[in-house]
Amino acid sequence: MSNTQQFQYDNRITRAFGMASFIWGVVGMLVGIIIAFQLTYPSLNFGPWLTFGRLRPLHTNAVIFAFVGNGLFMGIYYSLQRLLKARMWNDTLSWVHFWGWQFVILCAAYTLPMGMTTSGEYSELIWPIDLLITLIWVVFGVNMFGTLLTRRESHIYVAIWFYIATWVTVAVLHIVRSLELPFSFTESYPLFSGVQEALVQWWYGHNAVAFFLTTPYLGMMYYFLPKAANRPVYSYKLSIVHFWALIFIYIWAGPHHLLYSSLPDWVQSLGTVFSIMLIAPSWGGMLNGLLTLRGAWDRVRQDPVLKFMVVAVTAYGMATFEGPMLSIKSVNAISHFTDWTIAHVHVGALGWNGFLTFGVLYWLWPRMYRTQLYSVKLANAHFWIGTLGIVVYAVPLYWAGWTQALMWKEFTPEGLLVWGNFLDTVTQIIPMYAMRAAGGTMFFIGTILGVYNLLKTAQQGSFLANEDAEAPARERRQPAATTGEYWHRWIEGRPMQMLLWSTVLIAIGGIVQIIPMVFIESQVPKISTVKPYTPLELTGRDIYISEGCVGCHSQQIRPFRSETERYGEYSKSGEYIYDRPFLWGSKRTGPDLMREGGKYPDSWHYNHMMDPTTMSPGSIMPAYPHLLDEPLDLSGLPGKITALRTLGTPYARDFEKYAVTNAEEQAQKIAANLASQGIKDQGIEKKKIVAIIAYLQRLGTDIKVQPASEK
Amino acid sequence: MYKYLLQSVDGIQWFAISTLLIFFGTFCVASIRAFISRKEDMQRMANLPLED
Repeated sequence: MSNTQQFQYDNRITRAFGMASFIWGVVGMLVGIIIAFQLTYPSLNFGPWLTFGRLRPLHTNAVIFAFVGNGLFMGIYYSLQRLLKARMWNDTLSWVHFWGWQFVILCAAYTLPMGMTTSGEYSELIWPIDLLITLIWVVFGVNMFGTLLTRRESHIYVAIWFYIATWVTVAVLHIVRSLELPFSFTESYPLFSGVQEALVQWWYGHNAVAFFLTTPYLGMMYYFLPKAANRPVYSYKLSIVHFWALIFIYIWAGPHHLLYSSLPDWVQSLGTVFSIMLIAPSWGGMLNGLLTLRGAWDRVRQDPVLKFMVVAVTAYGMATFEGPMLSIKSVNAISHFTDWTIAHVHVGALGWNGFLTFGVLYWLWPRMYRTQLYSVKLANAHFWIGTLGIVVYAVPLYWAGWTQALMWKEFTPEGLLVWGNFLDTVTQIIPMYAMRAAGGTMFFIGTILGVYNLLKTAQQGSFLANEDAEAPARERRQPAATTGEYWHRWIEGRPMQMLLWSTVLIAIGGIVQIIPMVFIESQVPKISTVKPYTPLELTGRDIYISEGCVGCHSQQIRPFRSETERYGEYSKSGEYIYDRPFLWGSKRTGPDLMREGGKYPDSWHYNHMMDPTTMSPGSIMPAYPHLLDEPLDLSGLPGKITALRTLGTPYARDFEKYAVTNAEEQAQKIAANLASQGIKDQGIEKKKIVAIIAYLQRLGTDIKVQPASEK
Repeated sequence: MYKYLLQSVDGIQWFAISTLLIFFGTFCVASIRAFISRKEDMQRMANLPLED
């Protein structure tokens, strides 16, 4: 053909993201194993940098944004070029994206163990890194849309719709979640507070799962599964319905993370209903993936690539069945705050994301290196040890979740809690934690085998950096749009319209849920006795955030008898209005701390922080002796007070000028208290411990104060 | 208590109803359009990954 054009696909960028994915995968999983063992052997907590509280966000961020993040960029950069018959629009942008993303990961790997965190799950990174992520994401978007606009293939395959939805939604989520007011180079307070921030966080958090871990991987499934099976997707029509239904429903499901909380009931119900509906598109997609293998199941027995992909899609099906079930309020009443959730997300992370990444890597590497896979046997070994690893990981945690939930809710015939000491419900499940750690280790060993196999494959082959291709230039006019061949050609041929419509659809979900919560004051009834934190309490709160205490301790008592009996009065939304950030937590490895204030004397907290087992024998909480030694830094207080006042916390005018003195006075009182209780450390009032005691003793006490009008 | 909270927001019922309508509309349009489209076109689209 006269208008055939020669060009080359860029394989180097695909390889770079692929290598980054498995390198960070090894790191992220290793951190996961360390924190899993820390739960069984608390002496493995090496403070202050390597405690569970600080390493857990490092693990989740490394796996989500480094392992899966690089994995999805690998898949997108490979498939996008081929589906559009075009090289990436700009090689420089590709590499800015690659190195920028790795730099973001390195920044996270430094800041999180250092205790620099905003505490929101999967959005822990501090504001300068947030800005960097935004910049890199824009670079990625410009490169992707540049490629779309200069493509040779006029039709846009369904995988690319998922990529477009991923890009736009992650951009919206990241920006809204990162609305914060910086008051130093590493610190900021979020724009929203308490229950409103909780809603924004879980709108973000759930959709990070949806649009970072799911939609790009569905796009990869729609490309790489047909490639590996060498047959087209089972039903293209189904894939269209799958796409539109999935992106629209997903965006609403966030509030299922906040069931039985003080979030208004209508928002909770909305979250539940949409979560249950989500099962339809999710299973539509899963079945579409599995049925693509019709007539090719014999090959699944021999081809490790297909094996990985089949288990990945099956794990996706299991996780997306379980998700809606967990969103039913009565099920959530049992599962929430337990290890059931951890098992659920790991079926998704290890099975769906992990195995699809491995499947794609095993398919890509021999092709890019123009050779055979080094060892099919080793790949099969990886598959089996990985699959067993997932089972050994998940099953004990399901068991642990059920066991602990039932123990939390068990009453004696006299109406008392059978397991009144929270710690008893923890020590009961430690054997399950040990099994989970073993399952994780198995998965990790499989990953190491995979990395070795891929390295040997690379060694025996020769890398094709630029792959020759040819295709006719794209015809600018599309007769289909005028002859009405079929409707979808209109939009699928126009990436910008696609971007717009995807944005509109996902924006509706956010707007309807968040706007009334933020702007309608009556949604959060005020409580007159709830007052802003004192400067010392605020400092203690920031230490609590920095240590990652929220990873194990919730501050949200649900309105169940089993909880009010154990912890005290259930939580009200009005109690959180000065909480920036909110610290509800999503997992109780330790007890809820909502009403911790006044429960124990100051000396109890002092001893408990120094060595938790002295106060609670058998406790698995890390020891925090450094809080007894590290100096209390109050220099940032004026900036904090000013920032909070700007955001609406009613601190008196000029209070920032007296904040340090105020904090020092309160610290003196706590030191005196400690002295009266037998702890007479010299200079204790100038150590971090007094701030954390001040904060813990304040928790949940405001509603116990008698309102002035009633005195 | 939530019931009163819900009632205190002007026109709150429209949030839930509009949600349902928008979803239902989008879903129906996407489904109907997908299923009335021509088989050959769908086939061609489905084969795109196998063509490179």
